[in-house]
Amino acid sequence: MVSKNCVAMILAGGQGSRLGALTKNVAKPAVPFGGKYRIIDFPLSNCVHSGIDTVGVLTQYEPLELNTYIGNGNPWDLDRSHGGAYVLPPYQSGESGEWYKGTANAIYQNLGFLEGFNPKNVLILSGDHIYKMHYGKMLKAHEASGAAATIAVMPVPWEEASRFGIMNTDETGEIIEFEEKPAEPKSNLASMGIYIFKYDVLKKYLADDERDAESANDFGKNIIPKMLADGEKMMSYRFEGYWKDVGTIQSLWEANMDLIDEPPKFDLNDRSWVIYSRNYALMPHYIGESASVTRSTVTEGCSIDGKIEHSVIFSGVTVGKDAVIKDSVVMPGAVIGEGAVIEKSVIGSNAVIGADAKIGVNHESEDNPYKSKYCTHGIVLIEGGAAVEAGADILKGSMVQA
Amino acid sequence: MRNDTMGIILTGDEKIAPLTDIRANSALPVAGRYRIIDFVLSNMANAGIINVGVATESNYSSLMDHIKSGKPWDLDRKTQGLNILPPNLEQRQFGVIKGNIDLLAGISDYIHRSNQTYVILSLGNMVYNMDLEDVVNKHIETQADITAVYKNLRGRPESDLTRFTLLELDEDNRVKDIEVQPYYPKSSNASMEIYVMEKVLLESIVDECSARGELDFVKDAIIKKMGGMRVFGYEFTGQCYKVDSMRSYYKTNMDFLNADFRNELFNRERPIYTKTKDQSPTKYGEEAVCTNSFISDGCVIEGTVINSVLSRGVKVAKGAVVQNSIIMQDSVIEEGVELNHVVFDKEVCITSGRKLIGQESYPLAISKGTRI
Repeated sequence: MVSKNCVAMILAGGQGSRLGALTKNVAKPAVPFGGKYRIIDFPLSNCVHSGIDTVGVLTQYEPLELNTYIGNGNPWDLDRSHGGAYVLPPYQSGESGEWYKGTANAIYQNLGFLEGFNPKNVLILSGDHIYKMHYGKMLKAHEASGAAATIAVMPVPWEEASRFGIMNTDETGEIIEFEEKPAEPKSNLASMGIYIFKYDVLKKYLADDERDAESANDFGKNIIPKMLADGEKMMSYRFEGYWKDVGTIQSLWEANMDLIDEPPKFDLNDRSWVIYSRNYALMPHYIGESASVTRSTVTEGCSIDGKIEHSVIFSGVTVGKDAVIKDSVVMPGAVIGEGAVIEKSVIGSNAVIGADAKIGVNHESEDNPYKSKYCTHGIVLIEGGAAVEAGADILKGSMVQA
Repeated sequence: MRNDTMGIILTGDEKIAPLTDIRANSALPVAGRYRIIDFVLSNMANAGIINVGVATESNYSSLMDHIKSGKPWDLDRKTQGLNILPPNLEQRQFGVIKGNIDLLAGISDYIHRSNQTYVILSLGNMVYNMDLEDVVNKHIETQADITAVYKNLRGRPESDLTRFTLLELDEDNRVKDIEVQPYYPKSSNASMEIYVMEKVLLESIVDECSARGELDFVKDAIIKKMGGMRVFGYEFTGQCYKVDSMRSYYKTNMDFLNADFRNELFNRERPIYTKTKDQSPTKYGEEAVCTNSFISDGCVIEGTVINSVLSRGVKVAKGAVVQNSIIMQDSVIEEGVELNHVVFDKEVCITSGRKLIGQESYPLAISKGTRI
């Protein structure tokens, strides 16, 4: 069999519990984003554009929707005869069989998959970040430096640096120290959770890590510090550009809003770096006689009769007459009744909002039955499939479950 | 599911200048993101047909680019699936295709090799959403030799009816007479140019006609043989548009602004599939005004769009006004441009401040890549 130079492994098993009801039934990488995408479309499309044609997707939490979404990888041109997209769930084997214990353990359990391609390098990605990145360039730098591992980093504002895993590097970019969420950061270069390892080195460290009963089996906590301690050559690869971890409802909302700024902070209408997604047979969208749409994106299958302002409307959404949607994210198939008013909200897939309902319009109150710790900054989340009664008043900071 | 039936699509040759200068009629963009052939292909796929041949006459590169392996229609199969059949010019005596019998004779090998019992032959350039499974079922039930699908265009003016092949039917819906585009129409039953028959019958008709130098499937085969065959009509009651002129092309597109028509053609049970382009959602700017319009993905709308159909990737700059128009893929309308009743082919660019005005009865058509 032909050996691969680089195989990508996407860690897509996380629940993303801070996304509240959005990830009740789906894994975080399958959460809809940007009008017609899901979060996992970004690493998958990046792989294809970077010339990486073999991608393992490690799933664990609520995998059904993610598995069916990825299918045979065709939407990303990853249905290949040799290579392509593979969904890799945890499995039972002769003597043992267990859930993925951590990010490193997940890769360890799939060494058999990697062996089949005999790769020189392995690219580890996480399935919950929004960005466009040419992994091929990083791979080239990795190979040129001869490093055992290369870690993508990006500068973050100094005041936020203590929230990230920070890489302290020398002038050549070689990593000399790694600090997880340091109180007093010495550098503002944050790890993006994107690693390229020499495969033989990775294999050895994963096996060692597996034998260590104390280990959390995590790349950031265990593997990277251990390699540094052993004096392995570790390089940083600097990325400049848009990158967002959409781990909370607030950041997911914000990342959607970044698409509709003028000019957009993150441009999806980029023909040189198309983000692929699974397409459903939907007609173009229809904007009705009484509709008004400004500073927003609308996509296939929508039928809009109301007023849309500064919002991201996903596929197949119906918006009734005199409805007003402002600063909001409306996910696929949602139905917004006539006269409903929605402000700064995330409406889940196929939710039904009754006529004249008010969502996120009135201020929070102490006795709000829907108050949720996940809904910070006054954002309202309506779970996918939930029905909000006509005329209901859902206060800011609420989470309504189905 | 009728996997005992094969589909044959003969791409049309009606000319709609300048749009068909560069493509077969069946490859004409329609309803924003579709091509005319998507409708018949999707209808066949939705009926469970897994063997479809598309016979092309000329200008087929754009059609081949659109259909490719047949993936969007789930017709990329290990065996059978979608077959694009370019004309077999070498075998024809004078190297020119003169009629659809010639086209069918050129693909007789493919027809012979196919192992289905029935065949749906589609000659037309029609936009419709039909349950073809039911047509085949009825064909078998009535023990017809040929079933011709028609639409009753009751109440339409004669000038409109003369565009069609018209069927005269008896009370049992048996076809008594057929007239191809008669000047004085005697019936309002317009053939949709969809015929169902057993495959062996089609083969013998093509062989016979071809041997006698006859050219037309309807005029030379069905009409001449009607006496000895059971030819029945199947009435289609849904919406159906024949795209054979700029006027009908314009009207077909504009009718997608009507909710009933739109929801019938794009119903959830029988989706219409097309090649996907992975364009990002359409973006509306701060000053955008858009009403009663059908908009595809990848557009950037900063100006005004009213009563119009936009294909993928169209840009309408600030201050531009587009009304009653059909704008195809990747056209660019710069600032201050005013458009009314125009049909733009792909990649047309109208520079700042120009004004282009057509009429509903005579839309102004601009060919691909024009810069004004």
